[in-house]
Amino acid sequence: MRRWLAWTAVLAGAALMLLPFWCMLVFATHGRAEIFQAPPPLWFGDGLAGNLAILRERLPFWRNVGMSLYVATLTTALALLLCAMAGYAFAVYRFRGQRPLFVLVVVSMMLPPYLAMVPTYLVLDALHWIDAPRALWLPGAASAFGVYLMRHYIAHALPRSLLEAARLDGCGEWRIFWSIALPQCRPALGALGLIVFVGSWNNFVAPLVVMRSMEHYTLPLALRTLQAQLDTQWGALLAGSAIAALPLLLLFAVASRQLMAGFAAGISGEE
Amino acid sequence: MSFRIVIALVLAGVALCARAAEPLTVAVYPNLDEAIRLVTPLWRQRHPDVPLKFIARNYVDHHNAMTTALAAGSGLPDVMAVEVGYLGRFAASGGLTDLAAAPYRAGRLRDRFVRYAFAQAENGGRIVAIPTDLGPGGLFYRHDIFSRAGIDEADFTASWERYLSAGRRLKAATGVFLLAHPREIKDIVLRSGLKDGEGLYFNAAGQPQVESPRFVRAFTLARAARVAGLDARLTPYSAEWSAALRTGRVASQPGGAWLVGHLEDWLSPGTDGRWRVTRLPGGTRAAWGGSFYAIPAASRNKALAWELIQLLTMDRALQLAAFKSPRLNAFPALRTAQDDPFFAQPMPFLGGQRARLFWREAAAEMPALTVHRLDPVAEEIVNAELDRVLDDGKDIATALADARRLIERRVRRP
Amino acid sequence: MTAARQRAPYLFLAPFLLLFVVFGAFPPLFAAALSLFAWDPASGYASARFVGLDNYVFALTDPWFWQSFGNTLWLALAAGVPQHLVALPLAFWLHRRAGRVRHWLLGAYFLPFVTASVAVSLTFATLFATDYGLVNQALQRLTGLPLAPDWLHDPALLKPLVALVVFWRYVGWNTLLYVTALQGVSPALFEAAALDGAGSWRQFRHVALPLLRPTILFAGTLSLIGGLQLFEEPFILTQDGRGGSGGAAATTAIYLYRTAFDFGDFGSAAAMAWLLCVAIALLGWAAHRAFRREEAP
Repeated sequence: MRRWLAWTAVLAGAALMLLPFWCMLVFATHGRAEIFQAPPPLWFGDGLAGNLAILRERLPFWRNVGMSLYVATLTTALALLLCAMAGYAFAVYRFRGQRPLFVLVVVSMMLPPYLAMVPTYLVLDALHWIDAPRALWLPGAASAFGVYLMRHYIAHALPRSLLEAARLDGCGEWRIFWSIALPQCRPALGALGLIVFVGSWNNFVAPLVVMRSMEHYTLPLALRTLQAQLDTQWGALLAGSAIAALPLLLLFAVASRQLMAGFAAGISGEE
Repeated sequence: MSFRIVIALVLAGVALCARAAEPLTVAVYPNLDEAIRLVTPLWRQRHPDVPLKFIARNYVDHHNAMTTALAAGSGLPDVMAVEVGYLGRFAASGGLTDLAAAPYRAGRLRDRFVRYAFAQAENGGRIVAIPTDLGPGGLFYRHDIFSRAGIDEADFTASWERYLSAGRRLKAATGVFLLAHPREIKDIVLRSGLKDGEGLYFNAAGQPQVESPRFVRAFTLARAARVAGLDARLTPYSAEWSAALRTGRVASQPGGAWLVGHLEDWLSPGTDGRWRVTRLPGGTRAAWGGSFYAIPAASRNKALAWELIQLLTMDRALQLAAFKSPRLNAFPALRTAQDDPFFAQPMPFLGGQRARLFWREAAAEMPALTVHRLDPVAEEIVNAELDRVLDDGKDIATALADARRLIERRVRRP
Repeated sequence: MTAARQRAPYLFLAPFLLLFVVFGAFPPLFAAALSLFAWDPASGYASARFVGLDNYVFALTDPWFWQSFGNTLWLALAAGVPQHLVALPLAFWLHRRAGRVRHWLLGAYFLPFVTASVAVSLTFATLFATDYGLVNQALQRLTGLPLAPDWLHDPALLKPLVALVVFWRYVGWNTLLYVTALQGVSPALFEAAALDGAGSWRQFRHVALPLLRPTILFAGTLSLIGGLQLFEEPFILTQDGRGGSGGAAATTAIYLYRTAFDFGDFGSAAAMAWLLCVAIALLGWAAHRAFRREEAP
């Protein structure tokens, strides 16, 4: 009896968690007038083509999708490399300036990110990076949280004896990191990769100040341009949102088990 | 010798091509992107070598991105759309080209535009932008619902008191709310009795005026509407608000001329002939929104930018096309465009009213108010205090005194 | 120690540090400098004027700043505490009882975390709309009363709604953290407790919770930092990103953003940001102390 109660509660909770996704997918197939009626639609309509047409008419929509993919992929790849290297340095070595540097990294996580908008713009402008995709993926790769996570994982989950053994075998410092430490960090890299990818994929503040051409907009920013003061095409907006969410939804449907397991292993180590 | 000439020619050619390839950029918010689409064929004809590139952003995002770019003084477009709400701050910023100076000498164009709109962009002898569209206002109402309650138009336009008492009868007879939110009453009453050169929240000396009788009356009337239960407690322009208009839960809605297109198109479809527009109670003149085009001081192509602005704001055919476009409904700021026979056509959605003539008159009579850098802050503070009065029963005098203190704190700052 | 080994950490750090100094450290420091100036960003650099600590005085005597800070604390607690109250037992249950479908269930709870806030907020705005929203429709069906609460605009309802959205988005993340930590616990501990006659609840209370303490501290700190920086959910959920009528649900992050961009006062916004940072650091430190002291005896 109690077991069934628990199962029901957990399943109902999961259904509630997924309900907004269902609504998003359903609304994506309806026009604006149908979404705003009582009762709202709960099953798919035939407005998807119309919504996509609006998206394509107002936006270089598929180029925006491509730009999102491009930026998120590069950000993730670079962040994984840089954060693993920095986290490794903090976890494995003892060196002068270690503590103040690490404190600086942690403190920077506590600052409200929106404050940095204007100064960041000034920097990017001085570098002549405005409207260039690298203005998104290079700063995005310098993830303080990523360094924190990697240091944490390496300090707890990487056997020091492994490194020492390699050192005795005459491996160089880089070889030890690249061939021995990095493969051991795979779970943490998977977790960090997911977090960075999601963060980059969903970010709209950075592209807002940086991007000048609509072809260079990432999805969240592009979708926001559909929001007029009054005349918002909600159906198209939700269709665009659904498409933006789809890659991650699919990834989950296909690889839920591996992702969760990898993620779990990646975060662990704080005991 | 000839070799040098060839090289010089090639270099000149490269330089020309490089210049020609550089597009003219225009940054806008929706739905002004539609206006740029309308002008594009004409521009291509005139300047086949200079492509037009537009950058659209969400209304709030657009102005924030422009603020950021103005801060750095770079990365700005050649032409920038500015909504009237941001004009005061952008005008005071010094980041926009003074169009009163040579070679633009926009002062000579003043008479071609609706007076109040052009005056909004003037700031101490400088002209920072040219108006393109306006929102001359009126009171939209559901003729059928008021008729059912036996109420005539003349019954509620004479004064605000009459408007509220008509609302009580309407509510009793039909159960329909008079309006969406009392803030609408406050916003209009604030504007009553203002003359040229006066400001909404600040006087000429830059002192806040929020404790003046104007504000007391505006707050008193708004509270009376709430106490009598005449408002549907809906935030104007929210999704719920549009649903209420569609289902006929709200019987009147003050707004700019552009509202009619949205009503017809999707806010209140299928109600052809049931809506009317009339003057605001008590004869107040008010406008809802307005768009301008400006040239950032950092633009590298000011001559062409100026040409595009002239095209966007002074081409009669284009202004009319923008007015007729169902997505734009942009009421032209250009007076010569207002002589078109289109203005005299009856509007079936409004029961055959010649409403465009009404709006034209309303626009011409609008006083030219001065805008202040801190108008948006003042508006926000006043709205917050009004909410305290309406929702928490705060005393009006106290609320306005608090509003004045909050505004003064910011005025004292540069 | 060899020279190569001494040089190595700096070489490993260099690429990250280069980017971090330029894009992570410089902007906040620049903002700190700007907090001593009166500056409207729309007016360009030249208009900045040195005012000393005036911006800090302004922020600390600004009723809206305090209101926003109160909202922020309220939201951080109202959204944060339930997250952990649900995530802890849920994680325990998933770990001990869910068996093969554990990953699927965890995935369902985790999904909101990976979804763009734009999509989330739009969907919630339609679900909680007054007249046609699914929630109010259900409410009316279930109670038979003409209930139509105005979730998105009534200040008294807007804050709980924002808290709900934040809860929905991050409860899966916290569950994941706890499941992860439980996987590191030897199953023998639970089996021993079961042999001693401890039921599920007592196993959870007396075995799992004490072991999870460091994880609770870690996850709680992340929730606290995230909660005090809360921006996107209320920003997109409310009209024009104002945090509701009179700033009812405006967090400090929203208020300082508006101070900079809507009100043209970047100096005060920078001062507020630094005050918020200090508050986060102090609260984080206090939580750490309290938790550690409790643990010590």
